[in-house]
Amino acid sequence: MAMSTEDLKAAILDKALKSPKAQLYIKDFYACDPDSSPRAIKNAANEMVREGKLTFWSSGSTTMYAAKGRAKNEEGDQGVN
Amino acid sequence: MPKHATPLLDQLESGPWPSFVSDMKRQAEKKPEVWDILGQLELSYHDRITHWKHGGIVGVFGYGGGIVGRYSDVPKQFPGVEHFHTIRVNQPSSKYYSTENLRAICNLWEKWGSGMTNMHGSTGDIILLGTKTENLEPFFWDLTHELGQDLGGSGSNLRSPACCLGQSRCEWACYDTQEACHQLTVKYQDELHRPAFPYKFKFKFSGCPNDCVAAIARSDFAVIGTWKDDIRIDQAAVKEYIAGNYPSNGGAHSGRDWGKFDIKKEVIDLCPTQCMWMEGGELKIDNSECTRCMHCINVMPRALRPGKEMGATVCMGAKAPILEGAQFATLIIPFVKVTKENEFQDLVDLIEKAWDWWMEVGKNRERIGEAMQRVGLPAFLEIMDVKPMPQHVREPRSNPYVFWKEEEVEGGWERDIKEFRRRHAM
Repeated sequence: MAMSTEDLKAAILDKALKSPKAQLYIKDFYACDPDSSPRAIKNAANEMVREGKLTFWSSGSTTMYAAKGRAKNEEGDQGVN
Repeated sequence: MPKHATPLLDQLESGPWPSFVSDMKRQAEKKPEVWDILGQLELSYHDRITHWKHGGIVGVFGYGGGIVGRYSDVPKQFPGVEHFHTIRVNQPSSKYYSTENLRAICNLWEKWGSGMTNMHGSTGDIILLGTKTENLEPFFWDLTHELGQDLGGSGSNLRSPACCLGQSRCEWACYDTQEACHQLTVKYQDELHRPAFPYKFKFKFSGCPNDCVAAIARSDFAVIGTWKDDIRIDQAAVKEYIAGNYPSNGGAHSGRDWGKFDIKKEVIDLCPTQCMWMEGGELKIDNSECTRCMHCINVMPRALRPGKEMGATVCMGAKAPILEGAQFATLIIPFVKVTKENEFQDLVDLIEKAWDWWMEVGKNRERIGEAMQRVGLPAFLEIMDVKPMPQHVREPRSNPYVFWKEEEVEGGWERDIKEFRRRHAM
């Protein structure tokens, strides 16, 4: 059974805070609850950005998530088309 | 007065063509930070390496796309471009503007940014080059509240959908590309502004197989207009072309004398499937062999038109060469009706089926075309609930081995082969 949204958000935050990598792909959060759909996990993570708990980190071509304050502010890659 | 010496850039102004260096020098008179761009670019030409760093946490509140952070790696030398973020603004369908709107965008960018633009980016967005972090929110407020426009996509989002001129100007458009582009842009606002996928995803809508937005080469989901029935022929107009009374290609090549129009040389012999011929003074087409290349229609637009039963072909998986090389889109649905009457539901069903699968199995930074390639076309067709059909075959099989599933083989993998051979001689 999939976690409730609140439980899912707590698991996502825990992962974002404890992961050795500061910036995580959305797929890295799928393991927080294998029973939740990728769409539900994406929606929860995006909601957490609006709540100020997570922040987007974008290279221009790819977007990652980080716990507030953990993301570095520059460099990466940028693709075309 | 130039702030930095730029001998390498100055050389670019010496040719007969218009130079971006001259444009930037003119802009620098109004926006002094542009001198620093010129200075940094000169340094990059000298060092043969970029001095831009990009990526970061910049953005506007609630949006996960539309702004690409950009920073100088030599900010002490060029303080005017310490931050120089790029903003993507979603272009209007088919890029129709009024001059009033263009002026308003430019004025807004003079107010909040460098004033330099890139019309347009390769996905179609209006690209506004260079602003500071503190200007992002006020710019976004003005863009949305004064101009009624929105940011485009970037990062792992749906990118700004793009379409050709479609039925607004083109007699060959087989569906309303602008309506499809607009409706799906509105429907997928969340995916456009907030990351949802393993990587970027692009829709492009072309009204006919001429594919003026290059959907087949540049989009993950290409909707390309086509028709099911026969090409419409006006035999009287064919005769006028042959007589030289109508210019071929709508007069597009009339700047030079190419000699008398030769229907055999210029149309019939160039048909890739050789499905055209003249008979009794009339042009004949074996429509079952036509691959919709559009060549004959392009050459004789007053004599030939697409058929009346119109819709679109859906191809998926194109991408540029970042990983594994460039690839064209693969045909998935040969013909689908594209109509606003059912709110483009046939397209929506396909898009969401593909997204659900790709979000689940796509690797980080893997385009859907690469995921398709990884699992193979037969498996992908199964995911999309599409039965394999002749149109999916790119070329006749050169490998004689055919792989079957166990349930498709009588007796499965465990059957008694000796018993089988007793009844079926080799």
